[in-house]
Formats: sequence, C-alpha cells, structure tokens
Amino acid sequence: MEKYFLDYDWTVLAPELIIVAAAALLSIIDLFLKEKNDRHWLHWVAIVAVITAGVFVFRQWGGAPAEILLDTYRVDDFALTFKLILLAGTALVLLASYRDDGPKEARGEYTYLLLTALLGGMLLTSSADLITLFIGLELLSLSSYILAGIRKKRLASNEAAWKYVVLGSVSTAFILYGMSFVYGLAGTTHLYTAQQRLVEAYNGGYESFVLLSLFLMLLGFGFKVASAPFHMWAPDVYQGSPTPVTSFLAVVSKTAAFAFILRMLLSLYLFLVQTGPWTELVGPALLTLAAASMILGNMAALRQLRTKRLLAYSAIAQAGYMLVPVATLTGALMFESTVYYLMAYLFMTLGAFTVVMQVERDSGREGIEAFAGLSRRSPWMAAAMTVFLLSLAGIPITGGFFGKFYILFHSVTAEAYWIAAVMLATTVVSYFYYFGIIRMMYFRPAMDGTKVRISVTAGAVVLVSLAGTLLLGFFPQWLLDHLGNLDWIQGFQPIHGPVEQ
Amino acid sequence: MPVSSYLALAAILFSVGLYGVLTKRNAVIVLFCIELMLNAVNINLVAFSKYGLYANQTGQVFTLFTMTVAAAEAAVGVAILLAIYRNRNTVNADRYNSMKG
Repeated sequence: MEKYFLDYDWTVLAPELIIVAAAALLSIIDLFLKEKNDRHWLHWVAIVAVITAGVFVFRQWGGAPAEILLDTYRVDDFALTFKLILLAGTALVLLASYRDDGPKEARGEYTYLLLTALLGGMLLTSSADLITLFIGLELLSLSSYILAGIRKKRLASNEAAWKYVVLGSVSTAFILYGMSFVYGLAGTTHLYTAQQRLVEAYNGGYESFVLLSLFLMLLGFGFKVASAPFHMWAPDVYQGSPTPVTSFLAVVSKTAAFAFILRMLLSLYLFLVQTGPWTELVGPALLTLAAASMILGNMAALRQLRTKRLLAYSAIAQAGYMLVPVATLTGALMFESTVYYLMAYLFMTLGAFTVVMQVERDSGREGIEAFAGLSRRSPWMAAAMTVFLLSLAGIPITGGFFGKFYILFHSVTAEAYWIAAVMLATTVVSYFYYFGIIRMMYFRPAMDGTKVRISVTAGAVVLVSLAGTLLLGFFPQWLLDHLGNLDWIQGFQPIHGPVEQ
Repeated sequence: MPVSSYLALAAILFSVGLYGVLTKRNAVIVLFCIELMLNAVNINLVAFSKYGLYANQTGQVFTLFTMTVAAAEAAVGVAILLAIYRNRNTVNADRYNSMKG
C-alpha cells in the first residue's frame, strides 16, 4: 500500500519534533543575536522544550506500542523509559549550568548542541532500523565531540575533544563494520526482518559471520560506554571537558549507549541463547568486560587526586555494574535492574557533578583538596555530596544501594556467582576513594572560611538529585513494581509481523 | 564466491586504517585513517548489495548515509584539530598529552 507523508500519525513523534524545533529555533536566534547580548534566556527555551517533550513521553508511557515511517521508528515502553531518563538528565544538566561561567564564549552553541545530542539519543532508543540507529548514534556522538571542546581557548578542553573524536570515530567504524555484516547476511536494515533472516543465515552455515558482526558491534559499544579495556579515552575526556558537559557524557551518553546495545542484542541476537553460543561465548565476553571495568575502574580511581578524573574512573566502574544484567540474561530482573540502576545513577552522578562544579568554580582547583572543610563552609552542600557519594558507593538507604542490590539479585538468580563476588569485592574497594572525599569535607580544615556560592538553579538540581537518590533508597518497591508492569518484551518483537522487502 | 574478494579488500582497508589511527603521529593522517575505516565499511555494504545473501538496493542507500555522516565527522575532526593547533602550535598527536594519571 502506498503511504503518503501526511498519512502517518505524527503525534507519535511529538517529543522528537519538539526537540528538533527547539534546536533549530535556538540556532537561528543565536545567529541573529549580537555578540554582547545576554544569552542566558536561551537556556530557558531549551529547558521548556525538554520538559514539554518529557510530558509527551510520559503520556505515551505504558500505552500500546506504535510505529511510524514503515516501522523504522517505533515507540514502545522500552524506548519511552530510556527517553524519560535521557530527558530528565538533559533538563538537569541545562538547569545546573544555567549560571555557569564555563562555556560562556559559546553559550548559544552549548544550548542547542545539548538538544541535538539529546535528539540523537532519543532516535537511538526508538529506532528499529540499522540506518536510523546509526544516524541517531552519530548525531549524539558528533554533538558530544563539539561539546567536549566547547571551551576553544582552553587546551585541556581541546585535547579532550580531540581524543574523543578520534576514539569515538574508531568505535563508530567498528559498529558500522558490524552492521555491514548484518546487512550482508540479512539483506535488510530492518531490525525485525533481520531477526528472522539471521537465524536462517546462522543455521545455513554462516555462524562465524553472525558472531563476527556481533563482536564488532560489541567492541564499538565497549568504547561508547567506556568499559574496560576500551576506557582509555574516558578519564582524559571527562577531565578536560567543561564539567556540565562531563556530567552530560556520564549520564545521557551512557544511558543512550545502553539502550542501543539492549535493542541490538535482544532483537537481533536473542536466538543465540537457544542455540548455544550465548552461554559459551557472548555471555562470558560481556561478563569479562563487566569484571574488567569494575576492577580497573575502581583500582585506578584509588590513586586519583583530581575530582573529575576520580569520578571518571568511578563512572567506568559503574558501567561495569550496569553491564552485569545484560550479560546474565537468564536472571529474574533483567530490565528492571538495568533501568533502576540507570535512574539511580542519573540522580547520584548529576548531583555529585553539580556540587563538584560549584566547588571547583569557587576554589579554582581541580584536586579533591578543594573539598577540604566543606562541612564547615557549606554544611548543606557537604551533606548532599555525602549522600551522593554514599549512593555511588552503594551504602543502604540510597538509590545506589538498591540499584546494586537488584543487579546482585539478578546475577545470583542467573547463577553467575563469580561476577557477584567481583561486584561485592570491588564495591568494598570503592569505599576507600569515595570516603576519601567525605574525609576531606569533614575532617580537614578549610583553606578559607567563606561559604561556597551556589546559584538558585544549581541548588535546585542538587535538591532534585538528593530527593531522587533518597526516594529511590526509601521506596524502591514503588518504582520496581512500576517497571515490572511495563511491556518490555514488546520492544523486541515486530508490531505487524515481518515486513517483506 | 565473488563476494569474498571484496570482503578481503574491505578487511585489509579496515585494518590499515585501524593501524594508522593507533600508530601515526601526524593528527591529519589519523583523521585520514578514520576515513579509510569508514570507506572499508562502504565497500562491504556495496559488495553485499550486489552479492549478499539477499542482494538488494538497501546497501547502496546505507552507503549514502555513511558517506554523509563521514563527511560531517571529518568536518568536526578538522575543526577540533584547528582549535587545538591554535593553542598548541603542533599537529604531532603525541604531544597532545597535558592530561595524565
């Protein structure tokens, strides 16, 4: 049946269209504004757009899945859940950096590049076609490369952007190379048609090519989520980028990359679970990535004295924890534990980075000594930071604790005991460096007694993050039940049956 | 099977590109090598669209997309290289090493 442009139900795409419109509008306004004009209000336009898109996503959440553009783009619970995390993360980053002195020379660009990066992430979570998936991935990556180097006069920012663009492009090339083999075996870029044809190809004597495509994509994915041994870029990029951008990379990019790999693995390669190679090859490979990230990330963080670098290594370790559910598919809480951890991670990481942003700007220092005596200078900020760090370390009554707990529970039900042991051991190691910052705040004398200035918007972000972290810590069951009621499986099945091409 | 020679060419090109990214000192050559890797993918896609298990036009369409994105990526890469060159006055990628640890 011939379908015309206006026959599609475009309301399905409302959140994306809002973000596109806002990004286009902001880039045009930014062009016409004079150099000396105040650009702070552009932030509000972006924040309003993100929140409006969030409202639309929330209203679609839990409804029947829909597809648009010949099923290359689909809106299901899986995509909507990840989109909510991405939108919340971007809104908080925008809010936290509202009065930031950081990217002031390019404030307009900063605002709309964040929006285009967000749009890339949203495309990534929703696409059901290799081409759309690739375009979403690249939109996210290209915007983040520029964001990392947005302070063009600062050498560290330049270097961060350079390392990010080189290693990011290499990972893109690996993912694309893997996709080209999928296309070769399936003769289509449509994920759910390829799903069936890959099984046929696998049974028809092309096992090695199926596995090759999977491993090439896993390699590229390893770069994108900064899991060891593909993590080399992360510490430098996190340290060199302006702090708001670092928090964006840590939260939004990572969430989008996880959405990508889950969609990819579970729609294209799920048959490997039944035929065998999953338990022999793919599962162990993912578990090795996870264990290596936990061990390397936590060990390297131990000897870091720069706050952002320390948090970068901690983010590598966190990526390791988040890889455990997908590596042990057969457990009880696959999606719930991943999404729960991602939500807890969103709040605790953004909260911690916002506090770091304020403290760094106040002291002009990058080391953890900037935190000395914070409990006497700004007791509330120190208390909030303590909660975020406890949550990152996985201490009870915080979101991070239950996130880790569910992942542990999941891996034990999947009978992957050794990864649970590695997780527990490395968590204990991580206490040393998280408590190092807490010790600085409470037991070291302050260098000067003045209060750390914090803008109203950054304060609001800290409060929201604090509330989120504690709520997830006090009432974990509420979110878990809600996530359990969503229709996850629908995300990995075709809506109308296979499309003939 | 005629496709295997194309696949071999693409694999060699991809490996040459990867080797170049990892070993070359000149930042401009590093960017070229990334292009080599992406073009290896293009060869693969076009070969598959003619000789794949289900040969059809989609591979060539995909190639158009990858070429466009590769161009955008190169533009961003060169822009970042220019910014870093202004501050550091060298294109020797070994010397972009102010961050350690």
